[in-house]
Formats: sequence, structure tokens, C-alpha cells
Amino acid sequence: MTTIITVTSGKGGVGKTTTSASIASGLALRGFKTAVIDFDVGLRNLDLIMGCERRVVYDFVNVIQGDANLHQALIKDKHCDNLFVLPASQTRDKDALTEEGVEKVLKELEHQGFDYIVCDSPAGIEHGAVMALTFADEAIVVTNPEVSSVRDSDRILGIIQSKSRRAIEGREPVKEHLLVTRYSPKRAHEGEMLTYTDIQELLRIPLLGVIPESEAVLQASNQGIPAIHQKGTPVADAYQDAIARFLGEEHPLRFVEYEKPGLIKRLFGGK
Amino acid sequence: MPRRREPRPAPALELKTTRLAGIQVILNSAEHAALDTHISTLFAATPDFFGGEPAVFECGRLPADAPSPDWGWLAQELKSRGLNPFAVQNASAELAASARQAGLLVLNDVAPAPAIVAAEAAPAPEPEPVAEPASAAEPAAEPAAASATRIIDKPLRSGQRVYAAGGDIVVLAAVNPGAEVIADGSIHVYAPLKGKALAGARGDTSARIFTTYLEAELVSIAGVYRTFETAPDAAVAKKPAQIRLADTSQIVIEPL
Ligand SMILES: Nc1ncnc2c1ncn2[C@@H]1O[C@H](COP(=O)(O)OP(=O)(O)OP(=O)(O)O)[C@@H](O)[C@H]1O
Ligand SMILES: [Mg+2]
Repeated sequence: MTTIITVTSGKGGVGKTTTSASIASGLALRGFKTAVIDFDVGLRNLDLIMGCERRVVYDFVNVIQGDANLHQALIKDKHCDNLFVLPASQTRDKDALTEEGVEKVLKELEHQGFDYIVCDSPAGIEHGAVMALTFADEAIVVTNPEVSSVRDSDRILGIIQSKSRRAIEGREPVKEHLLVTRYSPKRAHEGEMLTYTDIQELLRIPLLGVIPESEAVLQASNQGIPAIHQKGTPVADAYQDAIARFLGEEHPLRFVEYEKPGLIKRLFGGK
Repeated sequence: MPRRREPRPAPALELKTTRLAGIQVILNSAEHAALDTHISTLFAATPDFFGGEPAVFECGRLPADAPSPDWGWLAQELKSRGLNPFAVQNASAELAASARQAGLLVLNDVAPAPAIVAAEAAPAPEPEPVAEPASAAEPAAEPAAASATRIIDKPLRSGQRVYAAGGDIVVLAAVNPGAEVIADGSIHVYAPLKGKALAGARGDTSARIFTTYLEAELVSIAGVYRTFETAPDAAVAKKPAQIRLADTSQIVIEPL
């Protein structure tokens, strides 16, 4: 059985693509056959983060329009054997994503025996974002600790509850997960940002994880290696924890408490 | 390859009745300067308050010999403040003609929507502070009998709006910022009320709003509204509260 996971947020630039890349990689590392699809037609970001931009020949829209078959367009990931990337087209507009076309591609991936399909949604609440969530079984709602991001996440949750196929057909609703990203325990502690509990209180969906703000993410994306591969960094560990929780394991939250730097640290620096 | 199961295709077009919940813009003057000043003051404190709601110009209070307002300008002014006027009601033949020409629909004797007063009778009086006050409601032609109660047990999220026609609404989950609950009768929210709540939407001044946690963006009863640019009293802020109308024109918020 294939599970379709949509990574969405409403607001732009909160870490959807970073999260899609790491969640897809993490699932593949756990042995699941996984595809990750870039729904951000016109912008194309996922292939950069996954480090496969130079191998893009055909894209999602080519497959939808029948110019290429899925086999030709799927790019095998460098780091995980059972991970495949379906890149977005840079030269089309979002209307190229038709509901029938998207459904056809998802169905075909299902027939090819994929366990998970991760859909990296564009920002906004328009056509592209709606296409990315239409066929979702589960949704990971990526939220930054600021009011506007929380508000947009709330909005997108409403759209999931009204426009997803599961909602329209009256099936069991899309399973929703909250992923707080770019979290700074210090700034939350000092009241400059919302705390993850504030966010969860407003959105009222289960918390999948809290990903700390870290420079490792920028380095990872510049190298074209998903952040989850940066072994030993809090970001990688936090994404691993999120994967584990997604798969039903229980893990306490890490990297959310602010600890005042001790005397030694203050004297000798270091992070 | 197993055959794909085709979902039964929905017809390309379906027709259903709808009762549009919108805003009534009551014109007391057709005079450009008076309207201009009052619109500016009315919206100054809360320019983003309306989120593109449909609106109807109520012309019943304009003097019989009033000239036609500049509909195009007026509609544009309101549009830029998040209201979308699309029709006039109770307009004289002359007003109706000019409104039609400006692309507005002409409605007659429709059930009144929640009212806001757009212009005081000219000459414009002292501009009132806008955050607090409420505006007088049109007396309802015939407040609908409250019978049907709607029950909502999932959170209402930003951008969502529910309307209980002809009755009360009971919400058992949070009403988040940017969400709207509207009822012809009373509104009961047994959870944080952080969005907008508009009770007595068809003019029932005895409608009330109850919540276990008041942090609303706006409350309105029979068209009399209050925003919370200034926080409500500490006795009710983020606490259980009841909101009702006193003397049909004054919003009263009390601890529950
Ligand atoms: N945990 C993090 N710590 C620091 N920076 C991060 C983190 N997550 C993401 N970023 C940075 O935030 C920016 C936006 O990330 P990303 O492209 O993943 O967001 P997005 O939601 O996909 O954006 P868009 O809406 O444009 O598609 C990038 O520069 C990325 O490096
Ligand atoms: Mg992106």
C-alpha cells in the first residue's frame, strides 16, 4: 500500500522543501521505497536540495503531458538506493498540473510499488498547493514560530479538511502532523518567538517534531545533501526523531529547552 | 496492471440555493465629502478588518430627493478596505438606475444583512473613535425564528466561516483567528473564541454570544459590533464571558 504524504504550510520559505528532502531521505534510509515530487512548478528547488539538478532531463509536467514516461523522469538519489526524485518544471506554469494528470502519476507510482510518496507543496493556497494536497493520506504542516506562519498553517489545515479527496469523498480524514521548524529555544524562551506549545495550542494537531534553527541547513542545501545526512547535528537528529514518530515510535522532544550557557562555556566560548 | 477505479464524475455544474452572509452599508447621505470623511474615520483604526466580505448598499434612509452617490467611487473606496459591494437595496427608481449603470445589482426587500452605518446624515458629526463603538442596527423586518441549532465539533480555522441560518450555533472546538461564526440566533463557543462571532445576523437583538475563553477579533450582535483594538476588560479577557446588547445599541461584555 502506498501512503501519500504532503508537506505543506501556506506561508513561503518556512522549510517545506528542506523537510520534504529530509523526510523522504529518512524514510528511504529506513528501507521504504520512496518518491519525492516537487509540486512547485515554475520554481524548481527540490532537485537543488537533493543535489540532482544536473541530472534533470524530464520533469513532472512532461510526464503529466505524456512527453516522457515516469521511468525516464524519475531520478535515483545519490545517497539512498530506494529514493527517487521527480523534479518540477521550471518553464511551465502551475496550471500545467491538472488533477487528472497528478492522479495518473500518483497511481502509476503506486503500481510501481512505492511505499511512500512525499509531495513538496509550493507556498500559498492556490492551484499548485491544492494539487499537492488533493491526494494526501497524511499531511505534514510545516510551521515557523511566528504568528503569520501559524495563521497560514491554520488556513491550509482548513483547506486540507475541505479540498482533499479524502474530505470530498467522506473517507477517513487526512492525518495531520505539525512540524515546527527553524525553532530557536533561546528566542522562544526570551519571548521573541512563539513556543512550540503556543503553536500546538492554536493549531491543535499532533506534534511530529521540532527542528531547530541551524546553519547546518544552509550548508547542506548548498552542497545538495539533505540535512538529515549531516550526522551528529541537532537538525539531522531532530529529523530522525520526526521520522521515528511518524512511524509510530515514541521519542521525547529534543533541542527545545533553553539552557543558559554555563560558566565554562562562557569562559571558553563554543556553542 | 489493475484497472483504475474511475470516480463517478460530478456534473460540470450544479445549482443550489445559498443565503449569502454579508455586510449592509447603510447610506445616510449621498454627499461625496461627507461619505469620504466618514469612511476614512470609520476604517482608520482597523483597515484590514474586513476580509473581502460581500456588501450591499442600503438606500432606504436616503432622503427621497437625494442625488445618486458616485457608486463607482464608493464601491472602490470600500473595496480597498476589504468590503465588496455588489448590490443596492431599497433604492428609488433613480438610484436604482444609476446603480445598475455602475454595474451593481438591484435587490429589493431582502432579509437585512448585518449593518454598518457608512455615513452619518450630513453634515458629518464629530468623528467617533472607531475601535470601540458600534453602530445602530436596522430594525429587522422579521427576525427569523430560532429553531435549528447547528453543532460544530471541529476547530474553525482561519478562512473558514460557518453560518447557522435561523438558529443558534454551538461550537465545541476553538474558533481560531481569521475564522467566522455567524448565526441568526445565539452563538455558544465552549472553547477559545479567537476569531469573529456575529450573532443575530438577521437583526435579532436578543441574540447573545457565550464563550469559555474570550479573545475574539470581533463580536457583533444584530449588526452592532465591537472590535478589540483595545483589549476587553481584564475581568473577561481570556475568560468565560457573555456578550449581549443593551438598549439595542450597546455591546455589553460580562463575565460568565
Ligand atoms: N531548520 C532550519 N534552520 C535554518 N535555516 C533553515 C531551516 N530550515 C529551512 N531553512 C532555510 O530556510 C529557507 C527556506 O527553506 P525551504 O526552501 O525549505 O522552504 P520552503 O518552505 O520550501 O520555501 P518555498 O515556500 O519558497 O517553497 C532556506 O534558505 C533554508 O536553508
Ligand atoms: Mg519549497
